[in-house]
Formats: sequence, C-alpha cells, structure tokens
Amino acid sequence: MKVIGFSRQDSFGLGETGAMLNPKARWVLRHEGDIIMDIGYGVHGARTLNLVEGADESPELKVLAVVNYTRPMTNSPERVVDYLQGLGRVDGIIANTHLGDETTLEIICQGNRMIRDTVRQLGMEVIYAAVDQKLAKAIIPGECEIPIKYIHRYMPSAIW
Amino acid sequence: MDKVIGDAKKAFITGNETVAWAALAAGAEVMFGYPITPQNEVMHYWTRMAPKYNREFLQTEDEISAGFTVCGAVQSGKKAFTATAGPGNVLMQEPFGMAEAMRLPLVAVIQQRGGPSSGTVVYSQQEVTLTTFGGNGEGMRIVYSTATHQEIYDYTIKAFNVAWKHRFPTFVLGDGYQAKMREPMEMYDPIDKGIEMVAPYPLIGLGGEIGVDREPAHLCNIYSLEEELYEVVLKHAAEYEALSPSIVEWTEGECEDADIIILSHGVVSRAADDAVKALRAQGIKASYFRPITLRPFPQQALRDAIARSGAKKLLVAESAYGQLERLTRQEIYGETIKIETLFKPGVGIIDNDIINKVKSVL
Repeated sequence: MKVIGFSRQDSFGLGETGAMLNPKARWVLRHEGDIIMDIGYGVHGARTLNLVEGADESPELKVLAVVNYTRPMTNSPERVVDYLQGLGRVDGIIANTHLGDETTLEIICQGNRMIRDTVRQLGMEVIYAAVDQKLAKAIIPGECEIPIKYIHRYMPSAIW
Repeated sequence: MDKVIGDAKKAFITGNETVAWAALAAGAEVMFGYPITPQNEVMHYWTRMAPKYNREFLQTEDEISAGFTVCGAVQSGKKAFTATAGPGNVLMQEPFGMAEAMRLPLVAVIQQRGGPSSGTVVYSQQEVTLTTFGGNGEGMRIVYSTATHQEIYDYTIKAFNVAWKHRFPTFVLGDGYQAKMREPMEMYDPIDKGIEMVAPYPLIGLGGEIGVDREPAHLCNIYSLEEELYEVVLKHAAEYEALSPSIVEWTEGECEDADIIILSHGVVSRAADDAVKALRAQGIKASYFRPITLRPFPQQALRDAIARSGAKKLLVAESAYGQLERLTRQEIYGETIKIETLFKPGVGIIDNDIINKVKSVL
C-alpha cells in the first residue's frame, strides 16, 4: 500500500501554520489503481474534496460517508439526515457505530440499524459496517443485517 | 430554553465537542472566541449548533477582545463563555483580571498547550500558574482541572452555575490530549439530573434609584485611592476564603496507609490512578491525591491525607516544570513531607513513568 502524505520531516516545525495540501494528494485521482482518500476529522471534512483535482468529474470516485450513531451530531434520524445533507455529495454510507472501549454488539447493531433505516429514506444504502475485529467471534452472521468489514485497531491505547 | 440533549445518552466524542454540547446544555447564550489550537473545535461545534438552538457567536479580532466581550456580555445578563489556549490564555489575562476585579461570572475553557511559546501546539500542563494566578490580581478564581470527557461535560455545566452564583471567574482547565481525543461519556440535560441552573441576571442597567431602592452596582476595576483598592481586595478575599471550603473538590485513594502519595492533576491523574493500582499489586504502599479544584486548592484535604497516610514522601507528577509543585508547596507550607518530582513538560505521563519514579525514590 502506497501512502500519499507529508512525512514528518516534510512538515516538522510548521506548527499551526502547517496545514498544507500535498501536491500528490491534490492530483491523486490521476494515479493508477485503487485509491482510498481518508478525509475527515472536524466539521468540514467533506468539503476537502474541493481541493482534489477532478473530484467532480471522476466517474469512478465514490464518496462514502462514515456515520457513528453514538456521535452527538448523528445520534438521531433527524441529525443523521442533517449531517448527510450538509456534506454535499454522498454516494454511500459506512456504518461505524461504536463507543470506543465500551462498544457492545447491541450498541453496534441498534445504531447501525437506525443508520440503515434513516439513509434508505434518502435513497442511500449502507455499503458495509465497520466492526472491531475483537467482536468478530461474538457476531452471529446476519445479526446486524448489514455486511461487515472487520477492522483491526492499531495503537488502541494511544491518546492522541 | 429548550432541552438540548433529551434523554441521557452515551456519546463517543472529543473533548472540544464535549465542551460545546455542555455549554449548550448549561444554557450558555453566547460564545466569543478566537481560533487557537487545540481548542478550535469548541468554536467549530458551537457555531454549527448555535443557530439550531438560538444561541450566538462572535469571532473577535483577537483573544483580548474575546475575553472582554465575555465581560461585557455577562454584565448585560447573558450567559457567556470563551475558550482558548497557550498564548491566547496569556492575552486573556487582561479581561480575566477585569472579571476578578469586577466579580464577573465569566466562564472560560482552557486547553493547555506547550510553553512558553506562541506556536507550540503540543500537549502540556503548563498553564496552571497562568490560569490560577495570571493577570495582575490575586488569583481569586475558580479553576477546575478535568481528567476525562465526562468531567469536561460535568464541570463545564458546573462552571456556569458556580460563576453566576458566586461571581468569580470560573475556568475549566483541560489540555491538548483531552481536547482532541475521543472517548465515551454520557451527555444529559442538567435538569434531568436534578441540577438547578442558576439563571443569569444583568449587572448593569438595573432599575430603581441608587441610594433609595438599591445600592450602586459599583462594577469597577480602576481605583484612584490606595485605601479603596485595599478595602475592595480584602472584601473579595474574605468572600473567596469563606466560599472555598464549600467548593473545593478532590479525589484521593489508598490514603489510609501509604509510604508515598502521588499528587497529580488533570489527565495525568489517570496514569497516577493506574500506577497506584499496579504498585499496590506489587506490595508497594502508594496512594494518590488529585486536586480537582486548583483554585481554591484543597489544601486542608491534602494535609489531612498526609497526616492520615503516614506517608514520608509526596511525588508530584506533572507535564510541566513545577507549576503544580509550586502551587502545592505554597498551599501546604509547613508540612515536612519530602516532595519528590516527576516533571515532563510537554510530554504525556503514563503509569509506567510514575511506577518507575516511585520505585526510584522509595
């Protein structure tokens, strides 16, 4: 996997003024092969796509919104709708309901079902649910009624 | 004012977002702010939600103005707050001083960052001195040092009540880690927990005739006579000291019998708690003491813990170079317990750091 981003050496010492756009990230859609753009954190994540050349024209680009039903901004059907409509273009949903170390299957399934039912009213589907690999053995196939991709959390104790 | 949260619910959230929701739940009407890492998201989330709940926001030209506009807003009877960090906290000492002098119910959230600096955006606990005794006053402030997102929520709500009830500027002291990391916590509407929110009231433009219907409001931070300043400061100090026993907060553990007390505040106290458990499991009699209010400092409680525990050593662990230690020494002057230190300015402290230090000094 090739990671496109600034190395620590490239951005060291820039402090608060260090928010630069990596030129390779700006033209990333010109690369061959599969490309995953992880855009997020903060309140303006989706608008970051404005900085990517060809984002509007690419027929292959899919914008998937990650929704966690325990986040206050998306913890009710109304808030999920508000959030998604505020993002602009959204082609599909990744259901990511969890509560960190307090995550239970019940929390995941209840939250993700709410997400699924809500986004269907907007004409969208949940592409898959992301679930911590630690819970894999506890999940009954089909229980959450949404395809699951298991994720492995690296550095789970990291604070930052 | 409409309820913001509804039924209490668990949320997975950053500390900054927690501040914004807590301020909404507390009935804050307006935030004045200026961007500075790592508290920006307090503003971002507040501005995002404010229109939905008929609250207001103004980004001022700098932090000095942000602090002073809070001073003005509370005088007009609005529940107002601000958030800042680092050099922003330095700049806001002027309005914070005004709030001390004029007894204004200002609420400010401080997300500490590295210093002294105008551009160091790393975590630290290096704004203790500034937040507790900054400005050119006597530090008559109330400062809550939070360690978890739940506490950020709880104490942000409490800060508004304490500020409006007692008319001392009140601070929630977090840090860069707390600001940015996510963890589960429970959001609630204060009314549902039986918390009665103190209603704000105007401090100026009051009705009635002065000398007939009421005393003058006398909101003042400029004095032309030394004796007048003397009287005012002593009056405020007396009220602050009388109030202190009822608002100091702390937690302690295993202080019934200990060889060493680990003293820490804020997020470092989480490591101290883990360290004490691990040390006890190894047969080392460690205990912890955590002041939640840095101002007023729970000095009597700490003195009692020292006496009760029989500990011979007090280990002060902080991500600063002695700010908590100096505060502690000042507050427990006269105690003969030997003070050891674990200073890691700008660097996080984990339980192993404390465990290793304890073993090295015992």
